[in-house]
Amino acid sequence: MTFRKPAYPLRATLPLLLLAVAVLIAIQVSTNAADTPSQLTLYPEQIDLHGPGSQHGLLVAADSHDITRQVHLTSSNPAIAIITPDGQIQAVSDGQAEISVDYKGTIAHLPITISDAAKPRIPSFRQDVMPILTSTGCNSGGCHGKVAGQNGFKLSLRGYAPEQDYLALTAELDSRRINFAAPAESLFVQKPLGKVPHEGGVRLSENSRAHKQLLRWIEARSPSPDPAESDSTSLEVLPGDRTLHVAETQQLLVRAHYPDDTVRDVTWLCQFFSNDDNVITVTREGVVKSIRPGTTSVRAHFQGQVGVVTFTTAFENQVDSAAFAGKKNLIDEPVFHQLELLHLPPSPPCDDATFLRRSFLDVTGTLPSPEEAVAFLADTNPDKRSKLIDALLERPEYVDHWTLQLCDIFQNRRERDHDARGAKGVRSFQAWLRQQVAANRHWDDLTRDVLLAKGDTVHQPQVGYFVAPISEKQNVEESDLGDSVAMAFLGSRIGCARCHNHPLEKYTQDDYYHFAAFFSRVVMKRPNGDTGGPTTLAVSSRDEDQIDRQISETGRNLIDATSTAAAEKDEEARKAGAKVEEFERRLLDLNNQLAEAHKRLPGVGQPRTGKTMAPQQLDGTKVEWSPGQDPRESLVAWMTNPKNENFSGNMVNRLWKHFMGVGLVEQVDDLRSSNPPSNPQLWKALNQEFVTHQFDLKHVMRLILNSRTYQLSSDTLAQNEQDHRFYSHYFARRLPAEALSDAISAATRVPDEYSGYPVGERAVQLPEPGINSYFLTLFGRSERVTACACERNGDVTLPQLLHLGNGSELMKKVRANEGRLTALLAAEKDDAAVTKTLFLATLSRPPTEKEFEAVKHALAEGDPRDETFRDLFWALMNSKEFTFNH
Amino acid sequence: MIDISLQNSHSRLCNGVSRRDFLRVGGLGFLGLSMTNLLAWQKAAGADAANPKARAKSIILVYLSGGLSHHDSFDPKPEAPEEIRGKYKQIPSNVTGLYLGELLPKMAKTMDKVCLVRSGAHENDHHETASNWVLSGRFGSAFGDYPAIGAVVSHETGFTGLLPPYVAIPKNPSFTWELGKSAFLGGRCESFKAGDPNQKGFKVADLSLAEPLSAHSMQRRKSLLEAVDTLGARIKGNDQMATYDEFQQRAAEMVLSTEAQSAFDMDKESSEMRDAYGRNEFGQSCLLARRLVERGVKFVTVNSGGWDHHKKIWEGLEKKLPVFDMGFSTLINDMSERGLLKDTMVVAFGEFGRTPKVNKDAGRDHWGRAASLLFAGAGVTPGKVIGATDKEGAFVTDRPIRPADVAYTMYSSLGINPRKQLRTPEGRPLEILNEGELIEDLYT
Repeated sequence: MTFRKPAYPLRATLPLLLLAVAVLIAIQVSTNAADTPSQLTLYPEQIDLHGPGSQHGLLVAADSHDITRQVHLTSSNPAIAIITPDGQIQAVSDGQAEISVDYKGTIAHLPITISDAAKPRIPSFRQDVMPILTSTGCNSGGCHGKVAGQNGFKLSLRGYAPEQDYLALTAELDSRRINFAAPAESLFVQKPLGKVPHEGGVRLSENSRAHKQLLRWIEARSPSPDPAESDSTSLEVLPGDRTLHVAETQQLLVRAHYPDDTVRDVTWLCQFFSNDDNVITVTREGVVKSIRPGTTSVRAHFQGQVGVVTFTTAFENQVDSAAFAGKKNLIDEPVFHQLELLHLPPSPPCDDATFLRRSFLDVTGTLPSPEEAVAFLADTNPDKRSKLIDALLERPEYVDHWTLQLCDIFQNRRERDHDARGAKGVRSFQAWLRQQVAANRHWDDLTRDVLLAKGDTVHQPQVGYFVAPISEKQNVEESDLGDSVAMAFLGSRIGCARCHNHPLEKYTQDDYYHFAAFFSRVVMKRPNGDTGGPTTLAVSSRDEDQIDRQISETGRNLIDATSTAAAEKDEEARKAGAKVEEFERRLLDLNNQLAEAHKRLPGVGQPRTGKTMAPQQLDGTKVEWSPGQDPRESLVAWMTNPKNENFSGNMVNRLWKHFMGVGLVEQVDDLRSSNPPSNPQLWKALNQEFVTHQFDLKHVMRLILNSRTYQLSSDTLAQNEQDHRFYSHYFARRLPAEALSDAISAATRVPDEYSGYPVGERAVQLPEPGINSYFLTLFGRSERVTACACERNGDVTLPQLLHLGNGSELMKKVRANEGRLTALLAAEKDDAAVTKTLFLATLSRPPTEKEFEAVKHALAEGDPRDETFRDLFWALMNSKEFTFNH
Repeated sequence: MIDISLQNSHSRLCNGVSRRDFLRVGGLGFLGLSMTNLLAWQKAAGADAANPKARAKSIILVYLSGGLSHHDSFDPKPEAPEEIRGKYKQIPSNVTGLYLGELLPKMAKTMDKVCLVRSGAHENDHHETASNWVLSGRFGSAFGDYPAIGAVVSHETGFTGLLPPYVAIPKNPSFTWELGKSAFLGGRCESFKAGDPNQKGFKVADLSLAEPLSAHSMQRRKSLLEAVDTLGARIKGNDQMATYDEFQQRAAEMVLSTEAQSAFDMDKESSEMRDAYGRNEFGQSCLLARRLVERGVKFVTVNSGGWDHHKKIWEGLEKKLPVFDMGFSTLINDMSERGLLKDTMVVAFGEFGRTPKVNKDAGRDHWGRAASLLFAGAGVTPGKVIGATDKEGAFVTDRPIRPADVAYTMYSSLGINPRKQLRTPEGRPLEILNEGELIEDLYT
């Protein structure tokens, strides 16, 4: 096999080109696909077959509808290539030929080239056998792929360890699984064919391609995995992204590209998954079907590679295109473009009061005061929304609120048994973060400061970041630090790859340990009974650390011996002198050892293979390292490189989710090629903005807040109420724990009290999740045990409603002598004015006529005034308009 | 007392498989529902016929958080050297040939009503990881990737009356973070925390009105809320809002319902009964659990913490075991006398057993290789012992029972198909359990 330079750029653009071709044709052809189309589109447009008997499929479209199953194929030269009964093109001998494609009289031609058809080919365990084990589910987590195996036969989960699987197949069970004398009798084929009892049932059909392929491998005496053999480098999924009508189907064709530039049709060996099979389903054979309007991606998995195509089905709405016209900034362009494609009409803009409340809550985590609400509503300046946004971003409450978000991401908590910093350390890390937010430190700078932190937590509070993820582990690389860093800064969930290759991503087990190796020169020194002092992060290795300690000890001994030698006489002095020499020799030796250890390439052991993994970036980039260097530096340099979309995308997605309620990628910290953003254009635009503005968080916030998209009403239209993903309206959501708690305190003017903190300290300002609060726990504050954003829980639960409706705390605040209502009732005799203030304090708007009437009606029943107003206050704070951000 | 309306309103599946399941399976072929799953599913669906007794209306799980020392309780090793045998003698039980540690005299007289499994095994010694494993039946991270059994039950049955389907007494287990949570099933399926029923004047948080409220005032609040809560009319298709409305309604009903209030009212029990269970958190929790299943609650977790005896285990066990002995034996006997054991499964286990060798601090450490579990009721064969450990109580020598087997059996007992596909929020289909099988010996 000869290796040529891989042609990545071509591969990357190929599907796009094909799509462009398809679009052009669609414009030319205006007739219905059921009639005779003027032209057919072929995917691919040319086929090169390598090797004896190799096969390749073909997709055919007319008017961008899939007609693959309805065409008739003929080979111009059956001596070169034939058409199999199931419509595959199969190599016969070397040469060129043409396949003609006939659909109701419209003909298209496909040039094909066959090479190496006579060249004997040794079946490959990795390329020919393993994919069958995966696609038939043999090595899935429910069968032989589970940790314990199944009925004594264990395979690696989805084939992450070919060498192990080879041994399991050929060597175990006295090699009875494979029978060279009678290949067809091998248990390896008899079991899945169901010829002998198999709990997993029939997985192979007789004389199928897979069956024949397995037999060929056994007939070749089951060659072992060839370490020099290359796996495919990318997958191409045809026909690429497209739109479908409800119930329309599309066959997929998956081509694997290899480093030697060969291409193989692996459709029959792929596993297919839909990212949302409420919208799109896909069969084992790769037939996609649209179920209902929306857009989602379908993934094809083959040998650790993932290919993704996105399908869109428009809603059955008639919408005037004027509805999508108004755009305020670069965010609106892609959002409204997508809404138009989906036929989803946007809700109208929200009113001023809603905007005021919404932006206060999203930016500062607080409610506007009644006075602020009145002033804003009265303001006639047409730019008042932008002005408010600018003002909010400069408020100290913004700093509190964003410090809270960062404290979640950075897991600012006390580690259970091993955190000598105590609450003080957690507070000082929070204070440090507050300074960074106040100074609007850009995200790359902040990342650098946190990830490269070293020294003690007293002087470098950001070292605190490492305390929770490293936890009680002695070896940093065995801790959750790698998982945490990948999740917090790259939005990558690499944790699965710790034990087996990532099921949905290209990450292998090796990649995980390569990544963990960046922290192999992080040594956390925690004080104990012997040494005391603050928790310290040293850039060193455990070996160096140990030798260092021996040097100190030997140094002390040397000094003692030297002074003894000087003070004593005769025999004692001689003995001490000998010791001095010994200690000197030892010191020299230790120093040499230290120098050696210092030069040793950093790395960690991969537990499955036992190999040492050097630091290597998640995208496979190798790392240069010079002795003494902190490997984290190259990690951070790679991360913060403007081209690293995972780094910018991670923060862009978190910001977007914060303001819009739903991330462009969901879950918010699960960025991967197999989980693409719901709006790729918007994704690109936001990332570009973030990068060109040097990772300025406030710049992106300002963009979002000023967009038409953000300022849409949360009220739904009949035509967009099913939309939960495309921002046709603002997605209303329950207030987060801290904001809701503070909102009740602000509305009632009765502050909460947290043990150990001054009265008036708001929930948003609290540094750590360990502070006792029934309310905050009930409403799902983050415990910060992991970096996962899912720890902050926005669910609505029954106890929450019991608490709001019946709990004593709310009513205590309503009644409090020093609270808003008591003072208001005493000072204000006009019921209408009291009503208005209560509405402004809770919902940030004056009551409507109808609401006024309802209150008046309640007051007219003649009960004590204060009682009625207390009940009104209760009702306001139990309403969704109060407990939700809308 | 049994609330008739609750009994009537709960909808049980005739054979553990709903029509919806059939539809789903029919449509799932292409989603990778393998033949194995299908076979196992059919097996589960047919379990009715094979195990007509294996049907529970409810489950009580007594969780011994921290890990019970099996040597000193249900798997004594009198022949082993003292450093393994420990301090306690063994005593005979009312089942011939079955001996328990001497701190369990009441359980010794109750063993004819329970089935003892001495062969729990999973090889994980980490509290959080093992707890989340045994509580869900699925192995995942320490942080709880999979919903606890109770949460899945709650998801599958939903509310069948005024009381929540899944209650934890006093709350979910926790060392540093909460364990056995509802994971991706979300807040709707999370356990309803009852609190400690042994507290003087025990009340479930916010279940009763904080202050007396006249019917008139109640009506006023209701109409004012209706007048101002208009957002729902303008926003459709929002799950959180729909859940909010539903739970607001339920919360109001629970507060007004005497049935809901009295379910948690410990004073409704005679003081003799309360004494019999033990006047402590565990005993009263067991009693409350019985009250709740009587009223149709599907799954009750009684969480008993403090079994993590790394030091001075004798002091620890001499406090804990008599409390357990009293509470658990009374629970079994009381349920049996009331006929509740017929259709309630009672299960007790912790996250692991403890090390065979007593350590230098006179304690025993974590040991995931062997543990004792108890099963009773709902068709479980009483007076039986399943599985065994070696002479040092270190390794399982017979019939290893994995966490997934325990969970499988509990689900099957309630008529829930353990291979049913759930859906994660990302749309990923996920089987309730991906391994494990029915512990058939429990019924033979």
